[in-house]
Amino acid sequence: MKLFFGVAGSFAAVVAFAILLETPKKYLPHAGATGAIGSFVYLLGLHNDFGTVLATFFSALAIALASHTFARIFKAPVTIFLIAGILPTVPGAGMYRTVYYIITDDRARSSYYLTQTLEIAGVIALAIFIMDTLFRVRLKKVEKK
Amino acid sequence: MDYKLVMNMAVMAGELMLRSGAETYRVEDTMYHILRTAETQTVEASVMMTGIVATISNPDMEPITMIKRVQERGTNLNRIMRVNEISRNYCTGELSLEDAFEELKVISGKQYRIWVYNLATVVVPAGFAPLYGGGSAEVLASAAVGAILALVITGGKRLQINGFILDTLSSLAVAAAAMLLKGLFPFLNNDTVIISAIMPLVPGVAITNAVRDTLQGDYISGGARILEAFLKAVAIALGAGAGMALANHFFTGGGLL
Repeated sequence: MKLFFGVAGSFAAVVAFAILLETPKKYLPHAGATGAIGSFVYLLGLHNDFGTVLATFFSALAIALASHTFARIFKAPVTIFLIAGILPTVPGAGMYRTVYYIITDDRARSSYYLTQTLEIAGVIALAIFIMDTLFRVRLKKVEKK
Repeated sequence: MDYKLVMNMAVMAGELMLRSGAETYRVEDTMYHILRTAETQTVEASVMMTGIVATISNPDMEPITMIKRVQERGTNLNRIMRVNEISRNYCTGELSLEDAFEELKVISGKQYRIWVYNLATVVVPAGFAPLYGGGSAEVLASAAVGAILALVITGGKRLQINGFILDTLSSLAVAAAAMLLKGLFPFLNNDTVIISAIMPLVPGVAITNAVRDTLQGDYISGGARILEAFLKAVAIALGAGAGMALANHFFTGGGLL
């Protein structure tokens, strides 16, 4: 049940965010679906005790895969799906907790969350790297034929 | 072949894309394709986050070079998409040079009405609340805080406040409003509300573009975008911290400690 609300909520949220980014109207549902897939993987990862960082990694990987697939199918730039779709994985929580523990004067926890935020940002970067590279390799093979 | 017109069109397409937040390699690629239709010997397009340089030349003519400084940058995926379509149609010969140039000129900015943007700013926090462990109470609270956020952003844009300051002010308002709500309804999970409500502000776009530019080898643009993402994150953190501290100072019933 929690999984369902999480996924449905992020679908709505990503569609709304896509509107803020001026996504073309016909691609709003696709952007939302990308985000929903991402948070489904994220929640599944958390449920299986993967930890936040690893769950984010798999989630970003799924989002990048979905956006590249949509981009190939609809012949649109990847950015249109990727930018809005990646939003659920962005470490807003880590940023907030870092500041929260600085204010409450808990240095140990604030530096723990700062490191975690940087780790998550790095992991998102890695996931996008991997998918971009994979799809480029595949494309080149097709072109050679 | 009207070289000047081809050059004008390529630079205009590039500027539109760069202003709308396209990746650097995509801008270069589009400009290169347009310039190549002039069939000159040399075709170069070099794009950085803050400007464009392009040149075409033949042995029997003076080279034509244009420089375009790009001041403001936002995110407008619709414009990227339209420029992409027009340049593709032009390069395959479906559109003539003049028609393509005219079409580029009329690409509009906004697709939706103002109230749709404001509604979207309310829906983003409400939608993310369940993902960060909120129940129905948190969804409602996030939507309320999102409404305040929409108010601050719309007001700030009208007053043309600098982006960094606006981010700080917005997250300050978010944090303070969430703390007040927590004071009124002590059962609320304050963390979830604040985290969900700052989601429309977080630098997701900058992070994604930074990664993709760096991967392409556009280190100057990639580095600039990483700096942009970091600065935005600092602005939001600063605002949230100040908001919580303020609310706690005036209103000790709030969520801190």
